[in-house]
Amino acid sequence: MARSRFPSPLGRRAALGILGAGLSGPFIRPSLAQAAWPEQTTIPDSLKGTGEVRIAGYGGTMQEAQQKAYYDSFEKLSGIKVLAFPGASPTKVKAMVETGNVEWDMAQLSRGSIMNLMKTGDYFEKIDYSLVDDGVGKEHRFEYGLEMLVWAQVLAYRTDAFKGSAPTGWADFWDTRKFPGDRAMFGTSGGGWPEMEFALMAAGVPADKVYPLDVDKALASYTKIKKDVVKWWDTGAVPIQLLTDREVTMTTVWNGRMAALQAAGVPAAISWEQGLSKRDAWGIPKGAKNKANAMKFAAFSTMAIPQARIAFAIPYGSVNGGSNEYIPPDRLAMLPSAPEIKKKLVNYNYDWWIDNREAVIPKFNKWLLS
Amino acid sequence: MVPLLLAAPLVLYMLAFYALPVLAMLMRSISDPTWSLTHYKDLAGDPVFIKVFWNTLETSFIVTVSTLLLGYPVALALVRAPKWAPLILILILLPFWTSVLVRSYAWMVLMGRHGLINEALLAAGLLERPLRLLNTPLATQIAMTHILLPYMILPIANALRQIDPSLARAASGLGATPFASFRQVTLPLSMPGVAAGVLLVFVLALGFYITPAMVGGPREITLSMLISQQVEELNWAYAATLSAVLLATALGIIALFYRLPGIGNAFTTSGR
Amino acid sequence: MAAELGASVALRDLEKSYDRVAAVAGVSLDIRSGEFLTLLGPSGSGKTTTLMMIAGFETPTGGDIAIDGTSVVGMPPYRRNIGMVFQNYALFPHLTVAENIGFPLKQRGVSKEDRARLVGEALELVHLPGYGGRYPRQLSGGQQQRVALARAIVFKPRLLLMDEPLGALDKQLRENLQLEMRRLHADLGITFIYVTHDQEEALTMSDRIAVMNDGLVAQVGRPEDLYDRPSNRFVASFIGESNFLPAIVRALEDNDVVVAECQGALIRAVCPSRPAAGDKVMLTTRPERLRFTDGAWNSSTPQNRLSVTVTEAVFAGERCRYMLQAGDGTAVVLKEPSSAAIRRRAVGEQAEIAWSVADTILV
Repeated sequence: MARSRFPSPLGRRAALGILGAGLSGPFIRPSLAQAAWPEQTTIPDSLKGTGEVRIAGYGGTMQEAQQKAYYDSFEKLSGIKVLAFPGASPTKVKAMVETGNVEWDMAQLSRGSIMNLMKTGDYFEKIDYSLVDDGVGKEHRFEYGLEMLVWAQVLAYRTDAFKGSAPTGWADFWDTRKFPGDRAMFGTSGGGWPEMEFALMAAGVPADKVYPLDVDKALASYTKIKKDVVKWWDTGAVPIQLLTDREVTMTTVWNGRMAALQAAGVPAAISWEQGLSKRDAWGIPKGAKNKANAMKFAAFSTMAIPQARIAFAIPYGSVNGGSNEYIPPDRLAMLPSAPEIKKKLVNYNYDWWIDNREAVIPKFNKWLLS
Repeated sequence: MVPLLLAAPLVLYMLAFYALPVLAMLMRSISDPTWSLTHYKDLAGDPVFIKVFWNTLETSFIVTVSTLLLGYPVALALVRAPKWAPLILILILLPFWTSVLVRSYAWMVLMGRHGLINEALLAAGLLERPLRLLNTPLATQIAMTHILLPYMILPIANALRQIDPSLARAASGLGATPFASFRQVTLPLSMPGVAAGVLLVFVLALGFYITPAMVGGPREITLSMLISQQVEELNWAYAATLSAVLLATALGIIALFYRLPGIGNAFTTSGR
Repeated sequence: MAAELGASVALRDLEKSYDRVAAVAGVSLDIRSGEFLTLLGPSGSGKTTTLMMIAGFETPTGGDIAIDGTSVVGMPPYRRNIGMVFQNYALFPHLTVAENIGFPLKQRGVSKEDRARLVGEALELVHLPGYGGRYPRQLSGGQQQRVALARAIVFKPRLLLMDEPLGALDKQLRENLQLEMRRLHADLGITFIYVTHDQEEALTMSDRIAVMNDGLVAQVGRPEDLYDRPSNRFVASFIGESNFLPAIVRALEDNDVVVAECQGALIRAVCPSRPAAGDKVMLTTRPERLRFTDGAWNSSTPQNRLSVTVTEAVFAGERCRYMLQAGDGTAVVLKEPSSAAIRRRAVGEQAEIAWSVADTILV
């Protein structure tokens, strides 16, 4: 679950990101660039301090967005210097903590990654919730991490493929007669967790009855689409490339990637119905040198205005209920945290996956190879 | 003594940055979470591992054979047609200097559903609907063959170049037709190069990762991909065990080649 | 008998040029059946190129090659049925001695049993019985060359070509093998064409020698003809040591004898061509055929004489070698058998030398 959803300069996944390089340009729409960004002018004294905080993110466009959205203003308001690093990954946090060489005070990770690591050892510091803004919903708070970004794994399709009709939900995705063409889905080859939820909804399981997952039923459903899935993707650039090159007519995607694709003029769209709502979280590696500063930054970045500012830069949603009033309606309509969209999405159940992935993934691999 | 001292910096470097990490990785496969060979036992009965391991060996084998069949004539041309050698060499090395990623992407452009090959076949009326070339095992094999071809051609060309040119003349003068001369003189004398090429390509192919991931079929999982998956899944002991198997396989194949008569010394001497 | 076993080779205006530079510039030569002919010349004279064209490894850019009267130009080497021995032996390193020798037989479809028998015979012929199972790298240079020789004759070709086959061997071994090759040539009765730059080797072994220079044949003849009657200055200087005396033709006598004026003296020389009186010519003599007139001299043949000054005297064991200077400064070398009975000349001494007309050649 350490999939970077943003082009970063490091690693193979980053390298694969080159595929989408031609598309990685205008995240900021002209209208938005002109629209006034909300400005945080004061912060509580409890968030002020000295020294520095070393934050690992995914680099690339995400880091640029974060710089603009909250790194700069935090430095100005708190007096704490922010050092941003690309290449955040749970494997690196694990290695850092195990070798006692903790180079990051905070890392942007999937909520699942943090929980997964905590299952095998003591890798993260507890979050100091006394500092955190009240606007941050309960569902976004957990013991060893604070969620800071809402995104979605959704259905995307080529609008020129089906003579005007648009798929809504996984039954349509599975229906290759009504919606002909090849498919791509998220696979496990890069450490991902398969989209069992989609397979179940395709088989008619209602969205609110998806968890706990019936793995055998999901695999049986998967079998029906198996021959049409030409790629089990493992990094966000791949489904975008497949859509662009018309290798597939429908695929699952990370929603943030689609804005760039659409901006590049590719006739493709998202269908939000029955998508999975997922979250990234700040985790503070055990033994981080500037732990206190990291706590202050985590609290600041989840305040309403910094969260709204992120959405101006990149189409991901806010964890703070107060953010929406700062975001123009046309932008809000693109975010997984928008009320209209949120209700179409299924909340990803990290707890279920943490408990079951060890059994599910080998089963899925075996099914895939059979 | 002095020559040994000269090698000392490299030996230390290799120890610190290669041998020790590899050892640490191997240790993990038998010490995590407790000292045991459980991971290896589990592997033997794991159908996913067996399938993936077999897939990897099969792909490596096919790629080795196809690079040999395609590469040998090119190596021969490289040595026998000195006039064209610079051009041939550039054609071989140009992709060699290009990143694997760019080349894999080039294959995607070429073999895609709406890629150059399909568009050309459609335009020529040879196809009614585009073929699925990309995202198939065939695509992996073609792309890997292309990427690994220089590793086959260069050692063979090197071996061919070391064959005394008067031997071919002697064979011809003694009544050997060009084909007989090739089969009885050139081919056997180039075997050290063939062995080196086969070994290089096979061992490199075992560790392939980017290419199968990018152009391969939906069910194509190589050992390296499985290792990466397990690293990301934080099953480091399992990943270490898989890595140990991959390393042992590569070492085993190298050992096997060293045992072959007349070939082992290809790696130590010029093969004369 | 021998004549039937060997092939005859005729070269007609044979030419080979590389990028318009002629390596062989028009060679015509008739090699008789059963003959041991040597192509002798300095490096770059075109001798090896000529041999390679006969073998078929080089294609002539002009002229014709006929073997037994049939043109072979355009015929690939493997169909010419010619034995060939290379300077570097060119043994197949991956094959045993027996396999090397059996190689040409295998190409000709000879059965395994016959092959074994013929290989055994060939090994006997080159005095290497029992070496069949070894690999070339386990043999000495001389043994390797014998194997190469055995391989070249095992299939009973009617023509054997050899390209400086002894060049890489030391002197002693070379002399032994020279004798062996002569013996082989006599035994087999086939035609040998031998390339060398070593005049001694050529003189020892050959029936006839073709001296090559600048892509052309300078002279063809028996070894003694070339030594005693060089037809041009190149041959005279390339084979053995020669003195050259500039002279002017004064008169022609019968029996191909020319009277020429040299250093004020009249000297008679043998001359097959008939130059005109007044022509400026060059006379040549061999150093060992000159004598001091006041020494142990005894001859009734017509004599040429010349006054000289001794400029250098070297005692070289069996011989004494003198550097002399004629009146106009022309250097002359004289070699005399050393004997305690013969007086040694001192540097600066005045002397008169004499030699036979038959040993004086106009070139």
